[in-house]
This record gives sequence, structure tokens and C-alpha cells, in this order.
Amino acid sequence: MTDARIIDRRYSHYDGPRLGPRHAMRSVYIQTLRRVLGLHRPARWKVLPILSAVMAYLPAVAFIGIVALLPRRVHALVPRPEAYYGFVSAAIALFVLFVAPEALCPDRRSRVLSLYLASPLTRTTYLVAKILAVATVLLLVTLGPPLLFLVGLVLESAGPHGVTGFGREVWRIGASGVVLAGVYAAASAAFASLTDRRAVASGASLLVLIGSGAVTAILHFALGAPEWVLLFGFNPLSGVSAPFELVQRIHGLPGFVPGLDTAALVAACAAATWAGLLVCWARYRSIQVTR
Amino acid sequence: MDVVVQADAVVKRWGGTTALAGATFTMGRGVTGLVGANGAGKTTLLGLVLGMHRPDAGRITVLGRDPWTGGADLRARLGYAPGHDALPPDVSAHEIVRHVAEVHGLPRRAATERASEALFEVGLGEERFRLVGTFSTGQRQRAKLAQAIAHDPRLVLLDEPTNGLDPVQREEMLGLVRRVGHELGIDVILSSHLLEEVERVCDAVVILDHGTTVASGGMASLRGAVPELIVELDEPPDGARTLVDALAAAGAASAAMDGGSTVVVALEGDVVHDLVRDALAATGLAVRSIQRATASLEDVYLRSSEAAPPRLPRP
Repeated sequence: MTDARIIDRRYSHYDGPRLGPRHAMRSVYIQTLRRVLGLHRPARWKVLPILSAVMAYLPAVAFIGIVALLPRRVHALVPRPEAYYGFVSAAIALFVLFVAPEALCPDRRSRVLSLYLASPLTRTTYLVAKILAVATVLLLVTLGPPLLFLVGLVLESAGPHGVTGFGREVWRIGASGVVLAGVYAAASAAFASLTDRRAVASGASLLVLIGSGAVTAILHFALGAPEWVLLFGFNPLSGVSAPFELVQRIHGLPGFVPGLDTAALVAACAAATWAGLLVCWARYRSIQVTR
Repeated sequence: MDVVVQADAVVKRWGGTTALAGATFTMGRGVTGLVGANGAGKTTLLGLVLGMHRPDAGRITVLGRDPWTGGADLRARLGYAPGHDALPPDVSAHEIVRHVAEVHGLPRRAATERASEALFEVGLGEERFRLVGTFSTGQRQRAKLAQAIAHDPRLVLLDEPTNGLDPVQREEMLGLVRRVGHELGIDVILSSHLLEEVERVCDAVVILDHGTTVASGGMASLRGAVPELIVELDEPPDGARTLVDALAAAGAASAAMDGGSTVVVALEGDVVHDLVRDALAATGLAVRSIQRATASLEDVYLRSSEAAPPRLPRP
């Protein structure tokens, strides 16, 4: 008796189910996540995602360790959950600079986009899948670390009191994570849609996002321009940027520029997100793959 | 005939450039060649078949449906291998073929199995887990073909599949195309400007010139439609001249070809055979062969596109 078997690898016709565009979008979404995170890819593609994740999660782990292992008098060193974003802004910036270019540029550079557009996907469904994947990866650093930090504090009885307090904090962290991921996913996708070179897209994102923060800060703080100019600052490394200022308001704090109206901050972030998506859509709408 | 693609006065413009100017044709089952010079409108036509563009005028149907409104259902049954490189260099052939099959609607498990089958089919079974970037040009062309057939499409569009291949690789690729169309039962549109390979592989052909259809139909009927008789003489060059003069005197149009050893006679009516016989008898010329002319696809193409002067003087 042997368990050997003959594997028939000849081409055969397929009569199984054919799933629709949602399945195609899910496949693009998962493939993009795997690509961006370096899964099933050589080691050099894993360095940046791992580095970013370590930068984002290490402070949370360290603070939880301090609360769990060190005497109570040292706990004053540990920030509140709402202040945690200051520790992960570098990781967020790193993800913003490399995720969207990695997700979007290679498809145009290697011209695999023509295969996608010849499939059940449309330009819109393709872009939705791609940008959702970019936002999901950004959520790993905008949502995951503060949430981990909060759970750690709660487990060590150092977090917000009661179910209501915990629920409110979870909602705030969730909303903050979605705002940051949404704004920066759309903005970085817009830059990535304008070029098929990853380095150029990352450079443009760096220049515009950090440049906008620097210019608005100089205009307001050095030259005395009105506070509303700060609505045009989107530097993730600076506390004085519209998305991070909105995060402060979500957590019930006055923020760095209390004079700025919260509604104006919401409008600025929404406008930046829609502008990014619009640029992306317009760019892809004009790409001809079979002309 | 089962109609696979039907175009009726299709017009497509890109800004001020007219890519298709009223193309009309019918493509049936099997392997159909789409022939034309660069800029004739071949790739634009493939884009219309795939539903990527909407015609500015006219109507096109693919498998009985309008590809622009047929949407996802129709495109799930089409395969496409573009003329340019279209596979990411930093993923394995199996991964990209599986992914494209999934995007065309196959569940993950089925896509994984069929990716292997398709890659074995095109001769990349052993190399299927290698990165595409390490492939030779021939292997990349094969991988493109594999991704086009992995989801078992009803119709596959191949745009210049032999681009950049050496003669041996070209021969192998044409064998694969022939197998896909004739043995696997997948209808194929083969876009190419290489007439000789279209002639060898295709059952039918559509010839485009400046955006219009100048000829279309079965390969045999197109090639057989040459109303000429070829008379090959076993005589020195002046023999052909003698025969041409004799035929002219009898009222038949003819011309000396190939350095004077061959005479091409216009077949205008059944009487021409008798006139040739009589002229040969009268001149006493030695004949090597007399046969009905068969046109190559190149002849058909050149005549259709009026790129070549007529071989025969018209009476």
C-alpha cells in the first residue's frame, strides 16, 4: 500500500463560482497590505514597516512596563493616553511617506494597472481598494498603539475609571485614529498618484506636508498672521497641524491653538481628505492603458 | 458562425486624432488575427473590446454584449495580455498569476491551483515561484499569457505576444497561442503587425488601416481571392516577353515577373485558360508549371491598404 498519487497539472476548464467585483477589491486590498507590510517579500522590504511599528508601539510597551513594574511615584512620568500621539508622530510620518507610494506607484511603473483595468475592477473600485489598504496600514500606527496603551493602563488599574470612562476613551482614540489615517491616507495617495516613482512621491509628501507646517507656523508665530492660517498646516511631526489639533479637541483638550474653531478644524481636515481623493481620482481617470 | 466580437461603424477619437474611423467587422470562434501597421487602431480596438473606452460612434458587441455596459460580468470572462511588460518584477510568477485570477473572480483556492496549471501549460512550471524580474523576455511573455488564461476566459486578447522574442521563442509562443485557441477552446484575438505569424496561427483575420477595416474574413477565403494565373517558364528571359506579347494579342492582360521567367495572367473569365494554352502552343515555349495564384496575407494586406502598386496592367 502506498500513499503516492499522481498530480494532474494539465490545464482544465473551470466551472466553479465566479465571485464579483467585491471579491476583486478584497484581493487587491489584501495584496496591497501584504506588499506594503513586506509579507512574503525579501527581508529588505520588511525593514521599514518593522521599524515604523517598533517606533509606534515601543513607547506604549515601555509605559505599560513602567506602570506595571515600577513604584507608583514614578508613574507621573507616564503620559495620559491623549498625549500619546506626540510619541508616535514620527512613526505616523514614516508610514505616511512610504505606504501610499508603495501601494500605488509600482502598479503604474510596472504597468500592471492595465491588467487590473481589464478585469472586473473599475478605476474607482481599484482606487477604493488601494486607499482603504493605505488607510488600514496607517491605522496600525494611529489607532493600535494608543489603544494598546489604554488597555495596558486599564489592566494595571491606572486608566480611566468605569465602563463609561473606558468607553469614552476608546471612542476618542478610535475617532482620532480614523481622522489621522483618513487625512494622511488621502493626502499621501494624492502625491503618489502624480508620479510612478516611489522616491519622488515620498519626497513630494515630505516637502508639502512638512513644508505646509513650517510655512504656516512662520506666518502665524513669527509674522503675526491670523490663527486660521494654521488650518493649512499638515506636518505630522508638528503638534501645530490641523489633524493633530483636531485630535486634541476630540480628547476634550483645548489644543495648542485654542483660538481655532473646532468646526473649522473639522472642515479643514475634511477638505484635505476630499481634495486628496479628488486629485487621486482625477489622475487615474485620465490614465489611458490601451490607446 | 458563433459571433465573438462584432463591430459596426465604430469610431474612436483621442482628442484630434481619430484612432478608429468606422471599423466594421465580425470575429468568429477560434484564433482571429488583428493586423495593421503601428497606429492603425489595433490597441484602441482591444481597449474597446475590454470595455475600457466607449466608442464615440458606432456599436461594438463582445460575446453578444456591449463591453462598456457589460461591466464586471463580461470582463470576468475576458483575458488580456498587453504588448508591453505588465508584470511586477518583485513578485513571483505564481503570485501575480494567482492574484490576477482572483481579481477575475476565482476563489483563492481555485486561483492558486489554476495559477499553477496555467504556468505549467505555458512551460513555466518549474520556474513558477521565481521572481518575474529574474525572467528572460521569453519567460515574461509566457507568464503574461499564463495570467491571461488562468481564470479560464471565454476570449483572450493577446497584443503582440511575440514582441522581443528570438526565432525559437517566437515559434514556441506561436505554438502556445495555437494551442490556446484550438485545443483549450479559448477564442483568441491576436493583435500583431507580423503578418507571417498571423498567417500561420489564425483562422481568420481583420485588417485595419488608418482606423478602418480594409479586409476581414476567414484566412482561406482571403488568400484564395486572387484572380491570377501563374505561368512559370523554363526559358530564358525573352520567353516571358514573348508570351506576354502573345497574350496581349489574344486580349489577355499579363505581366512578366521574377526576372522574366514567370508570367502572371489576369483571370478575367474562363476563356483565359484557353488563351494561355493557345499562346503557349503558338510560341512553343517550354513550361515548368501553371498554377492558380495564392496570395500570402502580405499580398492581401498590401492590396487592401493600397500600399502596393498593382502587379498587372489593366486593359
